[in-house]
Amino acid sequence: MGWNKVAIVGVGIIKFGELFDKDWEVMVEEAYLNTINNVDKGFDPKDIQAAWIADCRPGAHGTQTIAGVSLVGNIGLAGIPCTHIENGCPTGSDGFRNACLGVASGVYDVALVLGAEKMRDKSTAEMLSLAAQGHPVLQRGETAMTMFAPQAMRHMHEFGTTKEQMAMVAVKNHKNGVYDPYSHYRYEITIEDVFKSPMVCSPLNLLDCCPQTDGAAAAIICRADLAEKYTDKPVYVAGFGMGTDTFYVHEKEDFTEFVASVRAAKQAYSMAGIEPKDIDVAEVHDCFSITEIINYEDLGFCKKGEGGKFIEQGKSDLDGEVAVNPSGGLMSKGHPLGATGIAQIAELFWQLREDVRNSNGAGDPGVNEKRQVKIRKGYGLQHNVGGRGISNSVVTILTRNK
Amino acid sequence: MTTDNNALRVDTIGNLIDPKLKPFIKLPESPSEKPHLIGSKCSSCGEYFFPKRAICPNCLKDEKPEDILLDNKGKLYTYCIVKAAPLGFDAPYAIGYVDIPEGLRIFSPLTECDKGKIKIGMDLELIVDKIREDEAGQAVYGYKFKPVSL
Repeated sequence: MGWNKVAIVGVGIIKFGELFDKDWEVMVEEAYLNTINNVDKGFDPKDIQAAWIADCRPGAHGTQTIAGVSLVGNIGLAGIPCTHIENGCPTGSDGFRNACLGVASGVYDVALVLGAEKMRDKSTAEMLSLAAQGHPVLQRGETAMTMFAPQAMRHMHEFGTTKEQMAMVAVKNHKNGVYDPYSHYRYEITIEDVFKSPMVCSPLNLLDCCPQTDGAAAAIICRADLAEKYTDKPVYVAGFGMGTDTFYVHEKEDFTEFVASVRAAKQAYSMAGIEPKDIDVAEVHDCFSITEIINYEDLGFCKKGEGGKFIEQGKSDLDGEVAVNPSGGLMSKGHPLGATGIAQIAELFWQLREDVRNSNGAGDPGVNEKRQVKIRKGYGLQHNVGGRGISNSVVTILTRNK
Repeated sequence: MTTDNNALRVDTIGNLIDPKLKPFIKLPESPSEKPHLIGSKCSSCGEYFFPKRAICPNCLKDEKPEDILLDNKGKLYTYCIVKAAPLGFDAPYAIGYVDIPEGLRIFSPLTECDKGKIKIGMDLELIVDKIREDEAGQAVYGYKFKPVSL
């Protein structure tokens, strides 16, 4: 029996991609409408008592001074409290965690959490430069890749993890993404394609990396005992955790794990009262191929050092021990920082209800058998890791078990 | 590009060093000297830090950690070679994490970026070299680590 004080009753996301034709407000409105219009028993927006907006880099797309009200003001909810959350790569999932705390406190019965991010309004070089902001000793060529690629090098050095195994993560996630109508990329790739793609930051080729993607996603949560007003198939929040680590990458003792993830997962499993083997389906942070391999170990899906074998043996495939990233993951679906964690939660909501659809339109005839995971124990796990120095992580465990 | 280390004395290179990096590096004052990074050591718990800290985050005692010159030699813990560079940087360049005897790990560009020549565990030494160009195209200098064997 998990924590289960909060239930998710509706989710919605927009098609991720290079959305030059949609400004931030349009993305927000579309994700919101997709959410409230897909609540099983209908939803009256007046029920929303508080909102959280997750947006990591509003400064990069010009909404920095209006971030909180830019959500409620754009969806006809001006008047209710709205808090802006920024927390690196786990921005979306931490927004969700904070909204859960708001509802569980008893102050609010129903809350909206919405994440949105514009990642393509700036050039790649400018976005790379954003990562280098901070202490002068780090403004010397640091990028997101110089945090993760050296981890790959060390994991290969200590455990014999191979470039092929890393490429298998990209191949698997792109294959899953073909069947996700919201995914930025919807094509299959091969290991050879990964090797032939341009080297971005050795040992990571272009196809070892997630793309720069615009997107938005939302969820409506409520007190668990009120869920039946909105749906007969709610998904409960069984547990969550947030872990932090040292501010600088160079202060980490071990470059083969993400301590923040280990800490977040420990809290979440404890709160949910379950073990890693109880997870049917997981949406984890595959910003780079090596990240997913390390995640398998940090989240307890396999022993330390065995992440490479885990992917190679197909244990994270849709029909494996634990289906990892059925949505296509960050690598295929994209990684709009504020939206990413909430989009992962949306995918788990559909997966746990065994209600994964072929399209995002209303009236879709049936379940998408290609992407739907077989749900056995009823638990799904969401995970993000990142922030300055890979120093924060959020893990959320969802369940359909009341 | 590696510049002759002997030429990089404080009188010739001082103006080219990234001003923000100056508090963290001691430049050589004669040809016989080598550059050193300036870290800090907590007088209470003995812990070393780089970059230096105003307060020891380890023991949070009142005494200000003292500035200390760090060893300019180290071993490569791990690295990567950057091909997609941020603004102002010329790719390819190598980034290393270098373990020095004080028990610290230093984030630093490496002079060598030929993948075949860089190896985890190799011995490195600190030098002063060009890091990037500023918006006016002027070279900005800072510290790097260079393989001892090359």
